[in-house]
This record gives sequence, structure tokens and C-alpha cells, in this order.
Amino acid sequence: MGGRGGGLSQERDFSTRPRRRAARPVDLALLALGVAALLVSLYATASAARSLQRARARVDEARAETQAAQARVRELEARREPAQAVAYQALLTTEAPPPRVLADLVALMPGDVRLDAVSLSYADPLSLRVDVVARSASSYDLFLDRLQRSPRFTDVLPGEENRDGELRTSIQMAYRPL
Amino acid sequence: MFVALDAASVSGGTGARSGGGFRLASHARVSLGEGALVPAPFAPNVVRPGEVADALRALARSLRIGDAPVCLLLPDGMARLALLEVPADVTPQEYARFRIVPGLPYPAAEAVIDVLPVGPGRAVVAAARRGVIEGYEAVADQAGIVQDRLDLTPLAALSALLREPGDAVGLTVDVILGDAALCLAAHQGGRLRTLRNRRRDPGPDEPGRLAEEIQRTAALAGDGAAPRVRVVGAGARDLLARWRVAGGTAEPGWRSEDAAGVEISELAWVGGAGA
Repeated sequence: MGGRGGGLSQERDFSTRPRRRAARPVDLALLALGVAALLVSLYATASAARSLQRARARVDEARAETQAAQARVRELEARREPAQAVAYQALLTTEAPPPRVLADLVALMPGDVRLDAVSLSYADPLSLRVDVVARSASSYDLFLDRLQRSPRFTDVLPGEENRDGELRTSIQMAYRPL
Repeated sequence: MFVALDAASVSGGTGARSGGGFRLASHARVSLGEGALVPAPFAPNVVRPGEVADALRALARSLRIGDAPVCLLLPDGMARLALLEVPADVTPQEYARFRIVPGLPYPAAEAVIDVLPVGPGRAVVAAARRGVIEGYEAVADQAGIVQDRLDLTPLAALSALLREPGDAVGLTVDVILGDAALCLAAHQGGRLRTLRNRRRDPGPDEPGRLAEEIQRTAALAGDGAAPRVRVVGAGARDLLARWRVAGGTAEPGWRSEDAAGVEISELAWVGGAGA
């Protein structure tokens, strides 16, 4: 309700809607500043978008390279020739002959644990299966503990235990020549 | 740039004060059919918007207004005018709301008020109905005219006349003629003493009635002796001529130095150019 203008204004205005005012230099300067800020922000946004796109492309490229390398490894493993396997077995036999494997295993055995049977499989890795007899469960547990802590024996997998009197069981493991 | 609307025509142009008068840079006038625009305080004034918009378009073409914002001047007869003594602790607008608005024939919320300050503690206030003003704004918009501010022709003319009060001793009565209404303003020494607003009744008897109104106005202002009389607005030239024949003395409210073919005292809106 009511008119605009100050009490002693000479510029009467009975308009019912906002008056269109000519732009002053300061308005134009502010407008120019706003447009410049908008342009800068648009450039920064576009720049960031381009960087994001480049980063995503690099990630995709790296992922593709990784997948390609893994595929190549699998392919090479699958393509391992029998001659290579024989050579590897020969190498294992040299580096881990049965006496050395057996000596390393016996070194870990407590006094009241004995071996009933040992079988070696010279493949990759060199795997062992031993039948063990222990006079007490605690001795067997100690033997298992030593095996698991040893750097030469890995993938230790105890079998079912028979604890009627003496403890009888079998253990599978892998041997790693150092 | 000014565009004035009244009952008989739309007119406008640009002008500036020059010496003792005005210099018109441009001027054009387009007549309206009778009843197309009827200045009134309550009812919509633009009765035939299409016709008024066409006239405004023709005027805009003639004046080459283009996109330039113009000051719209609305005619006498559509607003309530009053001279108020304004207390020191209130603005003229606020005081007008207290004194004028309750007597208006429409809700107070619809009143648009502005003022013409006429010295310390005195102001001419004008109250117009928002809906009436919106009618004028709409027709100007329809004609493609870009509106700047909006003023009333009688206030623009009175403002210019009071800036050139003339003799500081005697009383001056200024007659501002619109097509539908007129204002009589009595002032002395630059101080506005009385303001009267009347509907016009054109006809052979009008010059005589107006002469009597001038005498009453002078009497109300406290000086019944022969005042100086100045006239501007629609019909000023004929009125002055008829008074002259009858032995009266009056003069145009303003003159032009170079308005060839244009009787500038007929153009009340020119007062806006002197603001």
C-alpha cells in the first residue's frame, strides 16, 4: 500500500510495480565482476571435470593392464611345459633331498613323538604327508606348534586324531627349501 | 521523455527549461475518441484499451521512443489532491494516510500515495486507486512503452509553476487544466496557500465560471483583490483569448522560445520537464 519515495522527494512515482532504473557504472562493474566470476567458476568446473575424466581413464587403463597381466600369468602357468616341470623337480631334488627334508622335520619333533610313515611328493610345492604317533596330546600339540612356526614348513594341515591311548594322526604340509 | 494521457488525447515529448520558458525538443499528440479514456477516481479509466494502446503506439512511433523508458503522466481527475500542513514528527505520506485515506471511496489498502513538497511543513498529497493506476500501466505496456516513473500531470505542472512564482508581494492563482478536471492553486511569495480541484464542465459558460472560481480561490487564500492569473493545460489558449475579450487579464503559465506551431501553454505535462 502506498507510494514510494521519501517524504520530500521531488521524484514522485505512483507506479504500482518496481521502477526500471537505468544501470549505473557501479551496477555495470558489479555485473561484469559477476560475469567474470561465473566464467572463472565455469572454467574451474570444466577443468575439474576434465581431470576427473583423465583420472578415471587412467584407473580404467591400469585396471585393464592388471587384468591383462593376470591373464598373461594364468596363460603362462597353463602353458608350462613338461620339460619345465621336470627341470623344477630336479632343482627341488637337489635343493631339498629327502634326507635334508627328513632331518628338518625330525629336528622339530619332541622326544615322545615319532614318525610311522613319510611320503614326499616333488612337485610345486614339495608336499609331505607324515603319519605321527605321540605319547601325549601335549607333545603332539608342541610338534604342531613347531611345524607352524617353522619357516621351512608351510600349509600345515593336521588330519583326524585318534586319542585312544597313544595319539595317532597324519599331517600334510609343504616344504620350502631356503 | 514524457507521455501524458488524458481524456481527449495522448501526447508527449521531451523538453527542458530554457530562460523564462521551456524548449521542446520533440512533441507529438494523438487524439482519442470520446469515451475511450475517462479520468475518474474510482472506476477503471481506460474504457477502450485497444483504442488507447493504438494511440500510444502512434505517439511512440512519432516520437521515436523505442525502448527508452518514459515517465507516464496521468490526468487530473483520477486522484484525490489536497494541501496539508504536515506535523514535524510525521512524513507527508503517513499524515496523508491519516487525513486523506479514510475519506476515499475505496479501501485504504488500495491507495497509492505520493507527495509534492511545497515548503517546510506543507505538501500537496495525492492519493490514487491502485487498480486505476494499473489500468494505465497495462495499456502503456500493451503499446510497448517502457515505463520509468509515473506521475500526475497536475502535480508536475504545479511543481514547475511554483518554481517560477513571480511577484513575491501579490497573490498568484495558477489554473492547471486537464480534459476532465482542473486545479486552482493560489500562492504568494512562493508559499502555496490554497489548492482546489474541480471537475471541468466545458461549454460556452466555462470561462465565466472559471473566473468566479479564481475569485473564490483568491478569497480562500486571504486576498480577494485581483490576483495574477496563469493558465496551462488543455484549452488554455482559448480560455485566455475569451477572458481577454471579456476584459480579463491572465497569462500563459509558461511560454516557449522556439515551439513553432505549438502553443506550449496547452501542454501541462511540460512542467515535468522542469523537474
